[in-house]
Parts: sequence; structure tokens; C-alpha cells
Amino acid sequence: MDDNWGYVAAGYLIMAVTVGGYGAWLWVRTRRARRSLPDIDG
Amino acid sequence: MSVRLKLLGVASIVSLAVLAVLALAVAPEDARQGDAYRLLYLHVPAAWLAYLAFFVTAVASALWLWPRTRSTTWDLLAGASAEVGVVFTGLTLVMGSLWGRPIWGTWWEWDARVTTTAVLFFLYLGYLALRRTGATAAERGKRCAIAAIIAFVDVPIVHFSVTWWETLHQDATVFNPDLDVQFEGFWMPFTLVWSVFAFTLLYAFLVSARLQLAELDEGREERELEIAIADRIRSDEVVPV
Repeated sequence: MDDNWGYVAAGYLIMAVTVGGYGAWLWVRTRRARRSLPDIDG
Repeated sequence: MSVRLKLLGVASIVSLAVLAVLALAVAPEDARQGDAYRLLYLHVPAAWLAYLAFFVTAVASALWLWPRTRSTTWDLLAGASAEVGVVFTGLTLVMGSLWGRPIWGTWWEWDARVTTTAVLFFLYLGYLALRRTGATAAERGKRCAIAAIIAFVDVPIVHFSVTWWETLHQDATVFNPDLDVQFEGFWMPFTLVWSVFAFTLLYAFLVSARLQLAELDEGREERELEIAIADRIRSDEVVPV
């Protein structure tokens, strides 16, 4: 094992957190958007 | 969330988990770069995904501009794909920086590839800002579609920058005999191909989810307008003449 594992671990962690965070943000906003759809009849 | 979108999400997560195992445990250490080269399995597919996303944005924008194919869906798809593209262009730069520190000895270099990629990031960030400017849907759609097509000119510049200008960034990653990372055996090239496959699935999932959200927002705005018109008609009816 060389000294570069820190950079590798940081890269995989940043990728996972960013993609996971973006996916979670989309999921929350989609749920909110579905709930807030106004009812034309009332 | 539709069943198809859920399946796409599950397939993306599974393929990314397989990628993590392949890239971190199965693929062997590189003879020259050691373990640092493992960032290639994130950096290369992220860059591919950025190219793909901006290509889809440009095509959807052209289809929106063409009167025969004009549809709100093309405009929403262009916006959804550009947003995902910006996220992955940013990640390409971050992964490159993390890889560059142990190999180049620096976090950042004003190299042709790095600089044109940074320009690409800011171009599409500007495009996303333009999408939020106040105007009628038709005016905004036209303005954004033209901007997306102009911004796409930077994509081939980014790609060919390593051959047009001899700077620090290595040449094309695959099929290059002068490459600093030498692919050996089966697992190194297989993991790279798998990473591109997994990220492409992820792109399909994220763009579909973002498009769904954009359509919901668009539908809400239309319904709010319909309600406002219905209220106005009702209030006009009760006003004594």
C-alpha cells in the first residue's frame, strides 16, 4: 500500500457524497412538488 | 417515482457498487503511478458523462429551436441534462485535482485541458443561470437554446486540447501507447469500460429524475395560472354591473 490511498479515498468519498446528495435533493424536491400540486377544483 | 425510474436507480446503484469493488480491490496497482491511478475510474467516466450531457443539451436545444419539433419537453430535457453535466464537470475537475497532486505535484495547473474544462464548467453554469432569468417561456427557451449550442463548441476544444497544445495533461486515455498509465491484464481495461457503463446508467437515472421534477414544476405553474384565471372569472361574475 502506498501513500496515495488518502487521495483515492477522498476522491471516492467526494464522488459518493456529491452524487448521493444530488440524488437525495432531487428525491426530496420531487416529493415536495407532488404534494404542492394545486387542485384546480378547490 | 415510476417503476422504470426506480429500476434505473437500482441498476445505477448496483453497477456503481460493483465499480467500487472493481476499482478499489480487483484492479491491480499501476506499475508507475501506484494506487493513485485508481482515480482514473472516476475521472474518465465523469468527463465522458459531461460530454454526453452537454451533447444531449445541444441536440435537445436544436430540436426546440426547429419549429417542426418544438416541444416544451426538449427545453426541459436540455435544462435537466445541463444541470447533471455541470455537476459532473465539477467532479471531473475535483477528481483531476486529487489525481494531479500526487502525480503532477500540484493541485492545479493552467494546462490546456484543465483550463478549457474549467471554461466549460463556467459556460454551463452561466447557461443554468440564464434559464432562471425572467422572461416569457418562448423568449427564455430561444435564448437558452442558442446559448447551449454556442457553449457546446467548447466540448471538442476540451477533447482535442491535449493534441492541439502540448501541455501537462496526458493524451487520450485509451488506445495510447505513450500513456503514463499502462493497462495490464484483463481487470484494468475491464474496470474502465465498466466505469463508463455505470456512469452512463447513472446519467440516464439522474436526467430522468430531473426531467420529472422539471415537468412537475412546469405543471404546477400552469395549474396555478389556470386557478388564477378561474378565480378572476368567478370574481368578475359576482361584481354588480
